[in-house]
Amino acid sequence: MTWFVIGYYTVLLAASCLAAYFNKRQIFLPLFSLTLVSFVLGIVGGTGALQFVAIGAGLLALAAMISYGFREFLIVLTSDEMAKELRTAPLTAAFGMFVIFTYAVMGIFAPLIAPHGEAEVIASAFAPADENMLLGADQLGRDMFSRIVYGTRNSVGLALTATLLAFILGALAGLLAATKGGWFDQLMGRVADVIMSIPSLIFALLMLSIFGPHIHVIIIAVAVIYAPRVFRLTRAVAGNIVVMDYIEAAKLRGEGTWYLIRREILPNSTAPLIAEFGLEFCFVFLLVAGLSFLGLGIQPPTADWGSMVRENATLISFGDITPLIPAAAIALLTVAVNFVVDWMLWRSAGLKET
Amino acid sequence: MGDILGLVGKRLGLGLIILLIISIIIFFMVELLPGDIAQAVLGQGATEDNLRALRKEMGLDQPAIVRYLGWLRGAVVFDFGNSIVTGESVAHTIGERFLNTLFLATYAAVIAVPVSITLGIIVALLRNSIFDRVANVVTLSFISSPEFFLGYILILYFSVNWGMFPAIASLSDDMTLIELLERTFLPALTLVLVVMAHMMRMTRAAIINLLSSPYIEMARLKGAPPWKVIVKHALPNAWAPIINVVALNLAYLITGVVLVEVVFVYPGIGQALVDAVSKRDFPVVQASCLIFAATFILLNLAADVGAILTNPRLRHPK
Repeated sequence: MTWFVIGYYTVLLAASCLAAYFNKRQIFLPLFSLTLVSFVLGIVGGTGALQFVAIGAGLLALAAMISYGFREFLIVLTSDEMAKELRTAPLTAAFGMFVIFTYAVMGIFAPLIAPHGEAEVIASAFAPADENMLLGADQLGRDMFSRIVYGTRNSVGLALTATLLAFILGALAGLLAATKGGWFDQLMGRVADVIMSIPSLIFALLMLSIFGPHIHVIIIAVAVIYAPRVFRLTRAVAGNIVVMDYIEAAKLRGEGTWYLIRREILPNSTAPLIAEFGLEFCFVFLLVAGLSFLGLGIQPPTADWGSMVRENATLISFGDITPLIPAAAIALLTVAVNFVVDWMLWRSAGLKET
Repeated sequence: MGDILGLVGKRLGLGLIILLIISIIIFFMVELLPGDIAQAVLGQGATEDNLRALRKEMGLDQPAIVRYLGWLRGAVVFDFGNSIVTGESVAHTIGERFLNTLFLATYAAVIAVPVSITLGIIVALLRNSIFDRVANVVTLSFISSPEFFLGYILILYFSVNWGMFPAIASLSDDMTLIELLERTFLPALTLVLVVMAHMMRMTRAAIINLLSSPYIEMARLKGAPPWKVIVKHALPNAWAPIINVVALNLAYLITGVVLVEVVFVYPGIGQALVDAVSKRDFPVVQASCLIFAATFILLNLAADVGAILTNPRLRHPK
């Protein structure tokens, strides 16, 4: 019995007793089940397993504290209207917003944050970490940390541009199809059907094999693949609005299609469209990461998370986790966006029952 | 019965038309190349003689329509011509790899489908409990992780740190089934994790949607015991969405397999496709894309047909 083990059980038991004393069932149940699980874990896995659990719980608590702080910070900063909305945000959504904020700062100020240039060779290949390089060097002797920081700008920037293009194309087609109807609607629907019946990664690979892995090809390919999904949703949302009386009234007033879209339909469909944008971004981001992992994304020496994982994958067989950091960065951003989208959907679409 | 057959036949016909359109897209997209395939393969430094020879060899001197029809006729009997890079027959290169991929996908599906549907139903019944919240966050993280991230984490723990399973899924002919299952365990597990997360969430949504319908409330109000509400009232109507979920996720498996095969160096069709894309070996790319698209459409069709068979409402469209 080390001091750590004694302290670990003391803290858990004391916290459970406190929760039970103050009648906090919500807190007591998970705490006490964790205590019971820890008994088994401690016997089977020894101190190591307990330390692992303690670190995990500590990280979770840290994330919860950061998200709580960040939410309060946002509530203080924003106007009354926004603050009211923000108060309903669960901690997961606040965490998501915090992560997105961090990535944005990292991407925008990359040259200031990164200690070295993105393609600058400063050490031998796979040199271990020292005070000059936080995470060691990659396969060509470039600073890993700097490349990860620059990667934020490149990977997220590419995915964001592609999503924007897909979104503009899809939303415009969807709005036009909903207002015009007729053959345009039919044609667009069929085109979307065909594109959506090809698996996205396969379609992207096909286009990249033909036109070569250039940035603009990737952006256009992704836009073509994901625009139909946006089209479907926009068409459905706008289709519900088009049949409203005020649209009829506007039509009778003699307003044109463009006015209808801009002033009547769009303001009434922003909430689901914004949520869709977030979801779409996640899909696009994962697709682009997959492509760059396959060596078909942004070409070297530009830093890109997906290709960084592939290039340094040999380190994993020596038990080094550094190559996984860019992959974890991808996962973290996607999770964060999903958390925020979940909250938005819950807020806008009245999914409060589920 | 004839009614159902007619509906299913109509659906199959539609699928066939879509497949035909996709084959047109796949074939004629290559025609969009600036110059032609011969130019792209040989590069800028090609002499006029070389170009002419290659064009003749690939039949590029014929009009595109004729070549398309020839290609399509070959594709029906699984003959996709010869690879530009190796000169071997594409069907030979891809055929065995396609079987390997099917094996991996089936392996993953056999584990993932029962487990995730059971878990999905449990989570739906326990909705809004702490268990449900945790499951929500965990599945969301699995969905959000790129496949290669999960794959490398599994390699790091299961093969490098604990030495339980091999990191590279190389196959040979004389392996027993047990050996085969052990070799391919990690790639299959990666696929299982991703697909399970999707399937659990979709099953949960479908079941919750069902449980909130008025007739379930009626059953509860009249005092039917909870298990009876689930088994007798909810389940018969739940089959349609569940079959849909399974088929859609198997279709998803088909794309997920590409990245996983590359991570684990598994000799499947996905890796062949990726190699061919970087070498610009168009016949192989076209053939693998067509096979992937066909499987994808087939599974989506299966979802539709399953829905028609299990949901009487779809059998009598208004």
